[in-house]
Amino acid sequence: MTEKIRLEAVTKLFNTRGTTTVALKPVDLSVRDNEFVALVGPSGCGKSTILNMVAGLMPASGGRVLYDGAPVAGANRRVGYMTQKDTLLPWRSTADNIRLALELKCRRTAKSEADDRVAQMIDLVGLKGFEKHFPAELSGGMRKRAALARTLIYEPETLLMDEPFGALDAQLKLVMLDQLQRLTQDRRMTVLFVTHDLAEAITLADRIVIFSGRPGRIRSIHDIALPRPRDVYKARFDPDFAHLHATLWDEMKDDVIAAGARA
Amino acid sequence: MIAWAASPFGRIVTRVLLVLACLAFWQFIPVSRAVRFWMSSPSLIAEQFWLWLLDGTLWFHLQASLYVMAQGYVIGSAFGIVFGFLLGHFRRVHRVLTPFLSAVYAVPKIALTPLFIILLGVDNASKIALVGVTVFFLILTATIDGVRDVDHDMVQSFSLMGATRLEIVRKLLIPASLPWIFTGMRIAVRYAFTNTLLAELIASNRGLGFLIEFNSGNFNTTGSYAAIFALVLCSVGLTELLSRGEARIARWRLP
Ligand SMILES: Nc1ncnc2c1ncn2[C@@H]1O[C@H](COP(=O)(O)OP(=O)(O)OP(=O)(O)O)[C@@H](O)[C@H]1O
Ligand SMILES: [Mg+2]
Repeated sequence: MTEKIRLEAVTKLFNTRGTTTVALKPVDLSVRDNEFVALVGPSGCGKSTILNMVAGLMPASGGRVLYDGAPVAGANRRVGYMTQKDTLLPWRSTADNIRLALELKCRRTAKSEADDRVAQMIDLVGLKGFEKHFPAELSGGMRKRAALARTLIYEPETLLMDEPFGALDAQLKLVMLDQLQRLTQDRRMTVLFVTHDLAEAITLADRIVIFSGRPGRIRSIHDIALPRPRDVYKARFDPDFAHLHATLWDEMKDDVIAAGARA
Repeated sequence: MIAWAASPFGRIVTRVLLVLACLAFWQFIPVSRAVRFWMSSPSLIAEQFWLWLLDGTLWFHLQASLYVMAQGYVIGSAFGIVFGFLLGHFRRVHRVLTPFLSAVYAVPKIALTPLFIILLGVDNASKIALVGVTVFFLILTATIDGVRDVDHDMVQSFSLMGATRLEIVRKLLIPASLPWIFTGMRIAVRYAFTNTLLAELIASNRGLGFLIEFNSGNFNTTGSYAAIFALVLCSVGLTELLSRGEARIARWRLP
């Protein structure tokens, strides 16, 4: 398989009011085409920063970020980015928010087809009955799902997702994971997925990248060799799953606890 | 008695009685002929008002004022919105121009009236210019604030989706700054009205302001009071219209 995303000795510094924060120490990472990679690590270790750089929203301070072999310069339109904070438009209803990408000139879609795809997406994320609601009238989890649908509807070849399911309850989260797995497999998407939830990462990912606390760097990378398609509802009762979970947690816990103590 | 006056119906009756009492006092207080000349009387004022209503004087001047106000308002708003978007979008240009803009913004525009009169004459043009400039700066700042308040993350999400610059303006910047522009335009109505009047008071040959100024200049106190009464009616009407319009917009914004 070919390489989709490549970080070469990428570092990131932030200057805020005279003080310099080292967000990332040199990071090397390569993501293959159609691969699902999860990034986990303590809060503030630079996970969102990595997604921002892959999306071309901020430059690296050192090293190179490559997409399809070419350096990322400026907004990377090949990726769909579901940010940590949702960016739904408050004056558009759920359905109209989800439709947004299909209204743009670069992929203008006939109204009837757009209507169909919006309806499909609303179904997929379980927002039936809330099409006409405005973002302010949705719960936190519903907003996340609307934002997810808005990104998925135009089927970008690469998905960057920053804690997309953080605000969902455990059952709904499983439904969403199932849908996401199906869609990304069917459409052969490449996914870079940030999460705090190890179980979620193991359920979905081909590889899990564990970061250590600030300044962020890669502590270890683990292949998740569970067969696909995975049954997200039962995966966590599998002995292999439990074993992986224990290993990875051992790997992470010191940093997580340290980050918690610092905060 | 006090409890009765506090009920909705009682309140209205009390108000009417209050007005009647004042008018009666004004009408019947025994004063010398000289004092009576300066303070006129409700019956004389009503008579004058009625006369103006019948012979069309009132309509003529009211129309003249509204015409100036509306023209200045529309022109000022249109330019304010267009330049507001340009300056809000091209931040570097805005940063260069900021000190000049604040300087002009801070000047009470009424001070420019004599200049406008020299340049454009005492006809409508000079008054429209004054109203237009006042409204322009109000709308300009409101629009710039609106455009700059747009969440940068939203702009980025639009670019990642592949939106063109024009699409970002049409689908994001304009709808996002509409509430700001509306707020500015609402405030600007009152400024437009005040400045129309001030311009007419300073130098003019028609309009409600002129009517007040003309009658005072001729020591026609009855006429001055009648003209001021017309102005009060006009202000009340405008305020009423505005608050209805606002209620409608608020409903539109919170569907
Ligand atoms: N725009 C910015 N300006 C200054 N510092 C920033 C900026 N963005 C991130 N940082 C800093 O970089 C570090 C990493 O931030 P980042 O948002 O990537 O963390 P994260 O791993 O996504 O954390 P979380 O899990 O809490 O979302 C933090 O210390 C943060 O303070
Ligand atoms: Mg983050």
